[in-house]
Parts: sequence; structure tokens; C-alpha cells
Amino acid sequence: MSRLATLLLLAACALAAPNPARAQSLLFDYLGFDYESPNLLPGEFGEDGSGYVGLGTVPFLFAPLTGNTALNEYTFVLQGLTATGYMTVGNYRIISYTPGVITIYEDPKAGGTTGDFGSNPPNATAPGTFADGTAILVGTLTDFRFVVDTNNGTGSFEAVFNVTGGTQLANFPLNQRTGWTFSGSSGNALNIPEGYEHQIDGQTFLNAPSKTHRTTWGRLKAGFR
Amino acid sequence: MRRWMTTLAAIAMLALAAAPSRAVGPIVDWDPAYFYFPGATAADQPAGGILRCVGTVSQFGPPLDFLNASMPATEYTFYIDGLTSQGTNSFGPPATTIYTTFYTGGTIAIYADPTPDAAFDPNPPNANVPSTFQDEGQPLLTGNFTSLLVTTNNFTAFQVGNIEGDIQWTGGTLIGLLGPEGQPCPGLFTGGATWNTSPGVGIPGYLFRHDGKIDLQCPTPTKKSTWSRVKGLYK
Repeated sequence: MSRLATLLLLAACALAAPNPARAQSLLFDYLGFDYESPNLLPGEFGEDGSGYVGLGTVPFLFAPLTGNTALNEYTFVLQGLTATGYMTVGNYRIISYTPGVITIYEDPKAGGTTGDFGSNPPNATAPGTFADGTAILVGTLTDFRFVVDTNNGTGSFEAVFNVTGGTQLANFPLNQRTGWTFSGSSGNALNIPEGYEHQIDGQTFLNAPSKTHRTTWGRLKAGFR
Repeated sequence: MRRWMTTLAAIAMLALAAAPSRAVGPIVDWDPAYFYFPGATAADQPAGGILRCVGTVSQFGPPLDFLNASMPATEYTFYIDGLTSQGTNSFGPPATTIYTTFYTGGTIAIYADPTPDAAFDPNPPNANVPSTFQDEGQPLLTGNFTSLLVTTNNFTAFQVGNIEGDIQWTGGTLIGLLGPEGQPCPGLFTGGATWNTSPGVGIPGYLFRHDGKIDLQCPTPTKKSTWSRVKGLYK
């Protein structure tokens, strides 16, 4: 019985084995600002224990996500990330974070609430007005890493992205829920609302479906004899 | 004396007070744009070489938000030319090396094309790049880069960095909209870059995919007042 279970497990693994040369597709584009909460050392970015929050708008959604940007405002909130340590390289700081979550919300333009950054977040409108409506997509972010010039906030971040929830979860085949995200950051823009650290402009890509390999029970068993 | 200093401080605060309706969004957002520099790599952009870029505008913000980048009948594109590399500097240990490349010169032009045809064909320059991004007629905007910095590294899992620069607007049919009294505010060209070559992300022959935008760097507006009004606030 135990051997049969092992074989079944191995078969499942074989079927789900990823193809190393997978194509990727743009899933959504996002634009906004970030801040730290909690911010243990104001004036410093990425100190151990500080929380990273990003929020803003999602102007473009791509398949398998569906949306209607004429009728709805799409917003995102990126949160749950805590700085766990950093390395200094010249003027740059390479910051590592615990896993976090990015959520995309759909909020009707008529009767909904327009996202309002306000100042010195968290505040009465942020992240609240970006986290209302229907959560159409929830994804985890792991291996989140921020590389930033501490002189001016110019930098970038990246993370592994996994679709885990939201009302459009069923749009994603079981073998196509993984991808990655990246964003540029800048502290040089004059339009950064008070209390925010950087403006951010990013994209999330979805890996192509994992390919499956046909085999026979005989071949599968033979591989483990 | 103390009251005089208080008054001066109050004036300074009023002068620096931000107007409540500051524009937050970019004037131009694109997806995608691709940079090319034959012979260069993310870690080595030889001095004297020329970096170029073509892109399609995906969204306009105030004061250009009357333009609809989603309308299929008109394609909005841009072309960046003449960015001259000053050579790539590297620093940090071998496993976490950061590369910075400063560029001088360079121009940008943004076009509206009633006959959409932009094509990111591989291995530029070629028959369609940059020509399908440089369309006939006067550009909507033209400008000169006053700085540009490319930041890359050898350790990010998805090969991501940043490209950011400053633009001084010089012309185009819409330049009068870019600042108060027709005086254009500088532009901030900024965004993330990736040299990931996976199909669907990179295109053969291009050095970077750039996800970015241009912000207007207008000075914070000030409010006019009078001495008596300022004094009145502290009586």
C-alpha cells in the first residue's frame, strides 16, 4: 500500500514537472507608492523589522484575469512583508523580506471609492480606499528582495508570485499559478505624497502552464527499481 | 525680535505649503519599452556606445489625460536616441555586484500615429525599429536628457534593475501644457528594467525591457499672501 502511494505521488510529481524553458506572459501592471509600517527607524529604509507596504492602481489586467477598466477602478495592496536583514554595497542596500501578499481589488467607479493616498500612511484613506471592493486576485510573494540606492530611493524589487485566491482564482489552471513580479522605485519624483517612501511602477508575469510528460506505469516503476 | 522671526518662519511655511490638488500620476506611462545597444550587456555597456529605446504609450495622465492611449485608431509611441555611455562601473563583492552606467546626451520624441504599425522586431536596428516608432508629422513632445543612469546587478533572481533620467522638454505640439504659463516643467523618466531573456519578457537583440513612466517635476506651488494677512494669523 505504501509503495502504491509512493508511486502515485511520483506520478503526480512527474506530471507536474515544470519545463525549464517556459514562456511568460504579462498578467498585470501596477503603479503607486510605498511606505513602511511599522517604521522602526524613521528616516531609514529597510531596517530589520520594518514592514513594507505598497499600494496604488492597476491600470492593465491581462488574461487569464478579466476586467473592465471603463467601469471599475482596479487597485492593489502589497503587504505583510517584514525586512529580515540587509547587505550594504556602496550606496545601495540589498534588503530581504519575509513572504507577503499582493491583492488586486475591483471597485466600481460609480458608487465605489476612488483610491486616495492621503499623507503619512497608514491614514484614514490609505490603505483603506485601495483595499475595498472585490478582491479578484490574491497572490503570495516570496523571496522578496529590494535593491535601493539609499541616497535617492532609486532601485527595484522582485519576488516570486503565486496565485492563491480571489474571485478569479478559477481562471487560473492548476498548472499555471506561478510567476514573478518586479518594480522600479524612485525617491526622486516630486509627486510622492508626504510620508511615502518611493513611487513604484511594476509588472507581474505569469509562467506558461507546466508541461506534462506522458509515461506508462511500467516505465514509471522501472525508474524506481 | 522673536515675533519678527516667527513671522518670517510663517511666511516660509506658507511659501512651501503644498497645494491640495497636486497631480500624483505620471503624464506618460508605457508598456512596454525596449532599450537596445548592440554589443553591450547588462554588466558592460562600453564607453562611447549609444543606447536607444522604442516604446508604446499605454496611458496618459494630467495634463495629457485628454489623449486616449487605448483607442486603437491612434498609436502613441516614443523613440529615445543618442544616449552615450560613459562606461560601466562595478562595485561590491563578486556574488553581489552592482553595475552603474551613466549616460550623457540623448533625446526623446513622443508621437501620435493614425496608422498603427509599431513592431518590436528582434535585433534592432532593422526595417521596423525604430522607424515604426518614429512617425510622420510633428511629435507631440520632444526633449533632451540631462542625465540617465542604468543600474543593474549580477544577483537578482529575475535580473531586474532600474533606469532613470531627467528630461528637459524642448518642443512638440503639446509642450505648452507641461507647466505654468507655458514654461515646461522637467520630466523624470523612471522605472524598473529587466534583462531577463525569457520568451514573453525579453526580445532577442534588445538589452532591457523597461516598465516605466514620465512624471512632471513641477515645483511645489506657492500661495500669494500679504504682510497683513500673515501677521493677522498670529495676532
